[in-house]
Amino acid sequence: MGYDLIYSQVTGHVPYLLGGALLTLQLATISFLVGWAIGLFNASILHFGPHPARLAVQGYVTFFINTPLLVQIFFIFFVLPDAGILLSPYTAVAIGMSLNAGAYLTEIQRAGFQSLRREEMDAATAMGFSVPQMVWYVVMPHIAKTLYPPLSNQFIIQVMTTSIAAIFAVEELTGRAYNVNSLTFRSMEVFSIVAVIYVVLTLACSLALAVLGRWLFRVKARIV
Amino acid sequence: MWEQLIEDVPRFFGFWNLMFLGQALLNTLLLSYLGAAFGFALGFCLAIGRHPRLYGIAPLRLLATAYVEVFRRIPFLVKLMCVFFAFQLSGAQASLFTVALVTVVLSAAAFAAEIARAGIESVPAPQWNAAEAMNFSRWQMLSRIIAPQSWRVVVPPLFGYAVGFIKSTSIASQIGVMELTYAAKILNTRGFSALLCFGTILVVYFLICWPTKRFGEHLETRLGQRPQA
Repeated sequence: MGYDLIYSQVTGHVPYLLGGALLTLQLATISFLVGWAIGLFNASILHFGPHPARLAVQGYVTFFINTPLLVQIFFIFFVLPDAGILLSPYTAVAIGMSLNAGAYLTEIQRAGFQSLRREEMDAATAMGFSVPQMVWYVVMPHIAKTLYPPLSNQFIIQVMTTSIAAIFAVEELTGRAYNVNSLTFRSMEVFSIVAVIYVVLTLACSLALAVLGRWLFRVKARIV
Repeated sequence: MWEQLIEDVPRFFGFWNLMFLGQALLNTLLLSYLGAAFGFALGFCLAIGRHPRLYGIAPLRLLATAYVEVFRRIPFLVKLMCVFFAFQLSGAQASLFTVALVTVVLSAAAFAAEIARAGIESVPAPQWNAAEAMNFSRWQMLSRIIAPQSWRVVVPPLFGYAVGFIKSTSIASQIGVMELTYAAKILNTRGFSALLCFGTILVVYFLICWPTKRFGEHLETRLGQRPQA
């Protein structure tokens, strides 16, 4: 039983796949930005907030880090309709990924908050800064540079994680791969091409983020 | 919603359902721990094959580096599909469990190779020089000098990655491996409420992952406290 790899039947679909890559990037960016905001908010609570709020945030982080994203999205997608909230697959995946990323980004940014010097906080307090002002004007500029490499790393992880959206019939890169697969039945060819696209895509993102980091902070971000 | 839920609970946690979930749990555990163990072993070999002062001969080094860089940049789902179809093409009669296990091993190896490399590089250069001056062979250098000093750095993060693979195995439900997520989907299809099915396995996943992660953190503080040799 021989099987010949015939790529010519799939190459015509590559532009369609690359269109899916755009959606992948979109989903990754949305979930990263929302997750980053959640993370910043949570890290502020962990640093400045009262005890019960800190416990709640720690519970959120521990729970989301220790359960699979796929099941979290299943939960959002299948359980919320019972409560009368109907979500489109795209929204459900975006919410799930954002909440998941939020947990990881809380951990990352908490480490940044801990690296701050006490005197700076005291000075800000003496100047009458409120907590949000303190976070935005004092903490953020200080931790931006140190947190840039782990944050860009998290973005790359988000890009790869979006493939889970295919399971919910969102037509991003992997979702479109499923479509092309059912059109051509050239499974090995389709998925090997998609694998290469993912490698190139994440490398391009790493490179772009490294260049951006160089330009913003003069830091050497790791590409590989 | 709540009335139906309360009605469902005794039926859901009946004997056969629990047996069903227990078997699925066993599959998840086997898949992730076995996969992580084999993968980490393979990863160490890769790291050793990448290091110029150990077994890093040029072609081997290039291959190992390419493998590590490529496999860390492909999503688990895509890897799973590639392995799945590759098995199909080869004509080998492999079970779905084997396909998923191979995928976990392949990805675990790529990640472990990076950790092991960091561990190997954490051994200071004078140690290497001294070993070479004493005319140690590569194997002696690895087993007597490098491994005893680097395992403290290497072992704790592996548990964090193991948690990642426990979570990744949920994606194996996509090709129909009978693990927790797939079991929950089946129970959901049989008419139990989604809240009950997915809520239960979320708790079960948490109960597997959290202790694993805590154990890694515990090891990290314990091994970190000891004076470095």
